[in-house]
Amino acid sequence: MKRTKVPSEITGKVWKIEAKPGDKVAEDEPIIILESMKMEIPVSAPVDCTVVEILVAEGDTVAEGQTVAIIES
Amino acid sequence: MAYEKQLEDLAAREAKARAMGSPKRLAERKAAGILNARERAALLFDPGTLDEVGLLAQSTRPDMHGKTPADGVVSGFGRIGGRLAGANVADFTTYGSSSAEVHGKKQGYVRLACEKNGLPLIYLNECAGGRIPDIMGAAGIGRAGEGGRYTRRRSSPVLAACLGLTYGGGAFACINSDLVVMRKGAVLAVSSQMTTSVAIGEESDPQNLGGWRLHTETTGYVDAAVDTDEEAIAWIKRALGYLPDHANALTAPAPFDDEARSDALLDIVPESRAKTYDMRKAIAAIADAGSVLPVKDRYAKVAVTALARIKGRAVGIIATNPMFKGGALDPDSCGKIASFIVLCDSFNLPIVFLADTPGFLVGLESEKRGLPGKIMNFMAALELSTVPKIALVLRKSFGQAYLNMGAGRSDATAVWAGSEISFMDPAVAVNIVYAVKKDDDPARFEELVKAVSKDTSAYDLAAPFMAQAVIDPRDTRAYLANQLDIFSRRLTGGIGEHRLADWPPAI
Repeated sequence: MKRTKVPSEITGKVWKIEAKPGDKVAEDEPIIILESMKMEIPVSAPVDCTVVEILVAEGDTVAEGQTVAIIES
Repeated sequence: MAYEKQLEDLAAREAKARAMGSPKRLAERKAAGILNARERAALLFDPGTLDEVGLLAQSTRPDMHGKTPADGVVSGFGRIGGRLAGANVADFTTYGSSSAEVHGKKQGYVRLACEKNGLPLIYLNECAGGRIPDIMGAAGIGRAGEGGRYTRRRSSPVLAACLGLTYGGGAFACINSDLVVMRKGAVLAVSSQMTTSVAIGEESDPQNLGGWRLHTETTGYVDAAVDTDEEAIAWIKRALGYLPDHANALTAPAPFDDEARSDALLDIVPESRAKTYDMRKAIAAIADAGSVLPVKDRYAKVAVTALARIKGRAVGIIATNPMFKGGALDPDSCGKIASFIVLCDSFNLPIVFLADTPGFLVGLESEKRGLPGKIMNFMAALELSTVPKIALVLRKSFGQAYLNMGAGRSDATAVWAGSEISFMDPAVAVNIVYAVKKDDDPARFEELVKAVSKDTSAYDLAAPFMAQAVIDPRDTRAYLANQLDIFSRRLTGGIGEHRLADWPPAI
């Protein structure tokens, strides 16, 4: 099993956390949804995976490139 | 029989050349499921159509005499789906298909013949770099530059497959091509990890140095990655199907099953413009079934660039994808779009713009990466292009991005009913102009959003005839097909001015 850091691709505010540690998430499915540019922008799983850790909370501001979750695949 | 001995001699020489390089290396490739040069050439061209040049060419160095069959490259002309084309197919078993005098002369001969006669050119590449010792010393590198030419005028399409270790001249040939496909496991780099480890003391895995992930996701130099040689050659053939033989010709139309209305768009595109969706699904509902070929799908995903057909006509589609970064165009997506405009404009492919964007992605990261310059390069490519262009806004398009996505600069501009168009998103404008945030005073915020949203509808663009039509989303396909019929005629029969033909090759 390989652990991977999932970065935010955009600066924004964490609007909703869609998956919790232990959840299985398919490739391109959202783990977290950010609010940025007045859009709801998902941070999606890069591959089929299990969520290991969520590193942000709803309402947090995240920067582009910041790790927001750790997954295992 | 007259000439019997001479013909026996010719046959023996040809057989030796066709046997390629080291039998051990050929066997290793076979065991690994990797095709050799002659198998690749056979797969590329229609059976029996390869007219090979330089089969009996070899290194001019006395010490290499008889050791470099065809000097490491299968070159020639043949038919691909009935169309004449040229090809240079690297034979890695002969000195790594390394760059050397005769090797280069053969490739240049085919390239020039394709340019002069309007034939597509295909590279199936592997290359160990410059051949040693040929390239060593002052005269060696001097000779490498003689007769070489790197720039091209995009007079006929060039497609490349990177199918193995591809360094130096082989890598540069890929970069100078219009479209590039890569077999996973291949490497495209200036020099190998052995050279980099000595030259700068950097140890690097070849895949990190120039593998498919690097080039499809980070550099954008590779347009698609596939698993096998066979898939790479099939991709080349498919991509060639969207392109004409040369810049003064049109792509042949293809048969299609007509669907008058793109009804699925109402389900694919959420009504709320804050919701994201995958624009690629919308494109699939607009284009002819099964006709979409993504280009650089894994790079700068905010922008979708794809070759496709609409009612049989080959087109280039440029779209923003709300699924990534909300559809806000970032610096990389600008370069991706500009290079795709160059491709379309060079080969007379009309462009369809599909905009659903909150604007350019502002912020520190974008500025550090040169967003203003990238926006202007994108705009330069757009304004210099002369192919037919149709711009359509789906849901929203704000700010400079509205202009860059072709609106008002195309042959026709249209907007979906319900779309919003303005300098910036009304909610952002309220923050900036009135310094009122939603969390601080929700009622006042809503009131101001309503006020700022005035005059931002599709009808506010249609009234001053800045859009030629406001359309029902379900009519998108029919609308685009009609506009393409009207604006693809031109007095030149659809051949553009090709003012971007000299545009630099890389993003």
